[in-house]
Amino acid sequence: MPGVKDLAYYAVHPKELRSIIQWKVWHNPVHERDDSKESESLKRCMYFLSQTSRSFVAVILELHPDILVSVAIFYLVLRGLDTIEDDMTIPLATKEPILRDFHNIIEQDGWTFTENGPDEKDRQLCVEFNVVIEEFKKLKPAHQAIIKDITKRMGNGMADYVKNAELGVENNGVNSVKDYEKYCHYVAGLVGEGCTRLFVEEGKANPALLKRTELHESMGQFLQQVNIIRDIKEDFDDKRRFWPKEIWSKHVDNFEDLFKPENKDKALACSSEMILTALRRADDCLFYLAGIKEQSVFNFCAIPQSMAIATLDACFQNHDIFKRNVKITKGDACQLMLESTQNLQLVCDVFKRYTRKIHQKNNPHDPNFLQISIACGKVEQFIESIFPSQKPPVDEKKNPASAEEAARLKKEADDNKWETFYMISAVIGTIVFISGIMLVVAWFAGARFDIALGQAKEQLGQLFGTVGSDNASAPLDGKPSTDHSEL
Amino acid sequence: MAAKNPVPSLGHVTVVGGCGFLGSHIVSLIVKRHPSTRVSVLDLRTSSNRNASSQVSYHDGDITDLAFLKKLFADLKPDAIIHTASPHFHLPPAVHDKVNIEGTKNLLSAAQETGVKAFVYTSSASVIFGPETELVNATEEWPMITGDAQPEYYTTTKAYAETAVLEANRTPASFLTCAIRPAGIFGEGDVQLLPPMIGAFRKGQTKFQVGANDNLFDFTYVENVAFGHLLAVQALLHSHKILPTIPLDTERVDGEAFFITNGQPVYFWDFARAVWHECGDRRPLNKVWKLDKDFAFAVGALLENVFWVLGRTPNITRKQVRYSTFAKYHSIDKAKRRLGYHPLVQLDEGVRRGVRWLLENELKTAQKKDQ
Repeated sequence: MPGVKDLAYYAVHPKELRSIIQWKVWHNPVHERDDSKESESLKRCMYFLSQTSRSFVAVILELHPDILVSVAIFYLVLRGLDTIEDDMTIPLATKEPILRDFHNIIEQDGWTFTENGPDEKDRQLCVEFNVVIEEFKKLKPAHQAIIKDITKRMGNGMADYVKNAELGVENNGVNSVKDYEKYCHYVAGLVGEGCTRLFVEEGKANPALLKRTELHESMGQFLQQVNIIRDIKEDFDDKRRFWPKEIWSKHVDNFEDLFKPENKDKALACSSEMILTALRRADDCLFYLAGIKEQSVFNFCAIPQSMAIATLDACFQNHDIFKRNVKITKGDACQLMLESTQNLQLVCDVFKRYTRKIHQKNNPHDPNFLQISIACGKVEQFIESIFPSQKPPVDEKKNPASAEEAARLKKEADDNKWETFYMISAVIGTIVFISGIMLVVAWFAGARFDIALGQAKEQLGQLFGTVGSDNASAPLDGKPSTDHSEL
Repeated sequence: MAAKNPVPSLGHVTVVGGCGFLGSHIVSLIVKRHPSTRVSVLDLRTSSNRNASSQVSYHDGDITDLAFLKKLFADLKPDAIIHTASPHFHLPPAVHDKVNIEGTKNLLSAAQETGVKAFVYTSSASVIFGPETELVNATEEWPMITGDAQPEYYTTTKAYAETAVLEANRTPASFLTCAIRPAGIFGEGDVQLLPPMIGAFRKGQTKFQVGANDNLFDFTYVENVAFGHLLAVQALLHSHKILPTIPLDTERVDGEAFFITNGQPVYFWDFARAVWHECGDRRPLNKVWKLDKDFAFAVGALLENVFWVLGRTPNITRKQVRYSTFAKYHSIDKAKRRLGYHPLVQLDEGVRRGVRWLLENELKTAQKKDQ
């Protein structure tokens, strides 16, 4: 139910309200799911999916039937893994072997896990994990192999991370940017790879995406890094630190100092550097989207990316991220979903709009000022390379390419000028000459030009009405003209 | 370093204009990257910007003197020529004709007669920039804007010289040429780009911005431009080695022009602000006045006329308004693919180096005056 605050907000932001209404009224899923034929275990899986209730879920449910269940099960398997990894109440000795062996566990009928702490949000999923396993085993063997492979690599990556953290390597934080990206690779980059392999397997994406591994890596990295930036305060309160020391130590001595009001400028500079690191992935994400062939898959991939770039803008130069969770408004989210469920060009427009918003807030005295400007420019240039806003101009005027050509053109133009001059002179000359001859002949024949001239004057005078009444009698004096006619 | 990353010798390279801003950077980059390459520099005056390395020899001379060039090249017998000599932008048209067109043709014919293998010409990215169209990710396919359509006579002569160089390719068959088109060169020793920006800072003009600042612009650090030239020489010498085989059209370097930039287009005013920040400016972004583009254009037109009567140039001109509100950036994909080009120095590092050098240099000159 919308609160009074929301009502007040949308009363002054009618455009956002319009987006919400449009999305609710007009959006139809590309593929409607028919759940009447689904087994009990699948229904239970779908229930868990809706319970985990992350932004992902809505788009999963609209996927093409060929991959919907596989992606949903893939998601639940990873969620199960994540729930075990995240739970600080499970001792390392129990946790590590499960994480390392999870790819085999998902093939063991009836496996469940009940040792999660009571506060763990997705505890029930692990308690009933047998339904996920049941459905996993019904998937196409090719899909099973992909999910198993990713689960194996992610489980081992998480186990390494948890072990390091537990052994107190630099007080549960991430040290270098390399470690940070490695962490994001395990929790998100691998998901990008797994999804891409599923899409390509079902012919929903260009197989070239599998060769350009940096593209699907960036898809995952971009989403994960944006989440880490946005959740800085929440994670800090939960005693988790994902911002790498290599970055924050350039700005403050202790991680906690980021949250002190007196360090506002330093904290902003630090967040800018984090945002820059994420922003450098943005063009790869657009490139990746160009390889998607099916609409529902496109929507599935594009919506989170659009949300991420908008979130990045909301966090940029915003000190509130150190005080609370900064979110994009529901109206903006609906607008983004409308624009992300059509075609790549509209998604590019979204990226361009938000990169320009970021660039307009860029602080000239930030240590990474020019680098951020470069990263924004790179996104724009990439968009221009796939959707050029102008064609190479046509050389209509035929500009000369060399000094010789210029001289030749100039000579031609001069020649043309003289030619025209000669032509006109010849015409005028001929007219003058012939008229002359005619006049001479007429004079010899007795023509009275004096009378003709006088009459012409009068008639002109009458025509313009400037001749006075005295002169009006002149035509009468012009009698001799009758003599003339006697000729 | 040379042992770790062996680079081929370029033989003997003559750098024409090697005491100029770009030329001197080309010389020092050859010395740095190709220690076994011999360099000879030809310039009108070789007293400034001299490189101390024993690899480099200096020769005074005028490229408008054909007989002299023939004799010099016959003596030096260079494998490659990098022609980077160009008169200052503001000089009268006759000088541009004389140096850019006639001088380049003299160099070509002297080189053709003396068995030079490779000839690289420093053109300019402006050869495709006219008064009407913005350059948005422009490629080498764009037509040149010259003659009456080109308001800058300097640019017209650069374009004509480029055509002359590219037409001379493979005549004789063993003579290979190409052209490098840099955009917005800046760095140590720069007189055209950074000094006016630093001047604007001193006049307190950092409080103004013309236009919305959404226009991307290419600026190129001088060492990267130098690097593009070296790669071009290297590529031409390689093509020369495989003669008479002609490389595939998609791989060819000879007879081609290449844009060389930092590959990092930034919003015009962002670059200016980065320069100002380096000078010590700390004005916050929200204290900047944003002037509407059309308004500024009208003010520029008005001031130009008023100042014309007074015989001076105003602080704001139509040309400046145009330059600061137009998009002007290029695609360097061709140079990346065919030359293997990539910028050696990032844009922000380049700004830091360029501005610091200029400020230090100013101090030194001031101290000399005091003494």
